[in-house]
Amino acid sequence: MISIEAQQKLLLAASKNLKKKITVYAIGGTAMMFLGLKNSTLDIDLVFETSEEREFFKKAIQGLGYQELNAMKVYGAKKNTPEMFTLGDERFDLFVGEVINFTFSDQVKKRAKEIRQFSDNLIIKIADPHDLIIMKCATDRLKDKDDVMAILKNTNINWDIVVAEAKNQVKSGKETATFELGYFLKEIYKTDKKLVPMTVLDCLFDFVKEQAEEQKKRK
Amino acid sequence: MKSQLLFKQIEGIQTIKSIMALLNVNREKAIYLIHRLRKAGYVKTKKNKDGSRIYYVSLENKLGGISYYDIINAHSPVKITGPKYIIYGKKPSLEETLIFALKTKELRIILASLALFRNINNWSSLYQMAKKENLVRQVGALYDLARKYFMVRRMPERFKNHTLPRKGDKTIYIIRGLKSKDFKAIEKIWKIYLPFNEADLEDYK
Repeated sequence: MISIEAQQKLLLAASKNLKKKITVYAIGGTAMMFLGLKNSTLDIDLVFETSEEREFFKKAIQGLGYQELNAMKVYGAKKNTPEMFTLGDERFDLFVGEVINFTFSDQVKKRAKEIRQFSDNLIIKIADPHDLIIMKCATDRLKDKDDVMAILKNTNINWDIVVAEAKNQVKSGKETATFELGYFLKEIYKTDKKLVPMTVLDCLFDFVKEQAEEQKKRK
Repeated sequence: MKSQLLFKQIEGIQTIKSIMALLNVNREKAIYLIHRLRKAGYVKTKKNKDGSRIYYVSLENKLGGISYYDIINAHSPVKITGPKYIIYGKKPSLEETLIFALKTKELRIILASLALFRNINNWSSLYQMAKKENLVRQVGALYDLARKYFMVRRMPERFKNHTLPRKGDKTIYIIRGLKSKDFKAIEKIWKIYLPFNEADLEDYK
C-alpha cells in the first residue's frame, strides 16, 4: 500500500527522470487520494493518451528500480490490461486509451479538470468522480463498492452525467456498460438507499431493456 | 501516525472553540493539538479582524505545492479561483504564470494576471514561452494595457521589436468575440483585440 505522501515523493522522483513533458490521467485509488477521498492505495493507476508517452514514463520508473510484472497474474485473460511495474509494496498500472472494460473517451478527458503537476515534465489530470464511479463498477472487487460509497458520501454527484457516460460507453462498443453500472448501483442501494436515487436505477434498466429489444429486432 | 489520526478528526476550517466542541477537550488541550498539527505541517493560520484565529487543517498544507491562482492572487487586486492546478517540486515563475493565464482564455484570470507585469523581469524567458504558445503579440498588448494603469517593469526594446506585428498579420482575439471600445489605439498597434473596457480595470485605479 502507498500513502499520499509516499505517492507524491514517488511521482516527483519519476518526473525528474522523464525526458519529455507528458500528460497522463489518474484513475482509481490514485485519483481518489488526490481528491482526498482515500488515504492509501494498492496501485497507482495511470492512463496515457499514446503508447509513446507510456514508454517515456516506463523508462522513468525503471530508472528508479521498478520492474515489469506479468499483468495476467493480476488481471487474468481480460482485454486492455495495463503494463504493470512493481518495487516492493506499490505497483504502477499503466493503461493506454482503454481501461479493461472502459473507453477513456473525449468527454471523460474534458471532465478531468483538476490537475497536479510534478516538476516540469509530469502533468497528471485527475479523473472526475462521476467517471470513477463508472470505472469502479466494471470490476468485481469488493473494495470498489466501498470506494464508490466513499465517493457518493463525499461528493455532489450529478446522476445525469453518470447515466450519459454509461450510455456513451455503450455507443463506444462496451455493450454491458449500463447493465454493469445498474447492477453495481443496485448493490449499493441495498446497502444504503440514500446514496443512489431509485430513478437512476430505473433509467439504467430501461435503457438495458431498449438495448435488448434493439438486438432482438436486428436478429 | 498520531498526527494523521488527529488530522482526520478535525480536518477543515476550525477555531479553538470548534475544536474544543468537536473533541470535547479544554482550551489548553485544543491549543496544544493545533500546535502538534502545525508542527506536522497540516495547519495554516489566518487572523480575523477581531484578533481571533482561523485554522485551515488540510492534507494539502502538508503536501505543499503551489497553484498559478495563488501566485496571481498574491500579486493582483483582482482575486481569482479556478479548477485546482497544483504544482509540486518547483515554484512557477511569474512569466510562466502569465502564459498560463493567457492560455485559460478566461476573462477574469487574464485581467488578474495584468498585475504580474509589475514584477516580470525575465523578458527572454517570457518571449520563449510566449513564442512556443503563439502568444507574443497578446503579451505585448496586455503589457501596454497594464502600463496605462500602474507602474510596470520596462519592456526591453529588443522584446518589443520581436513581438510587434508584421505587415501581413491579421488582427486576432485574446478571447474569441471580445473586442474593446476604449483601447482601440493599443489594439491597432498590436493587431490584437483586447477583451477589456475601461470599466473592467476599475480595480487597478
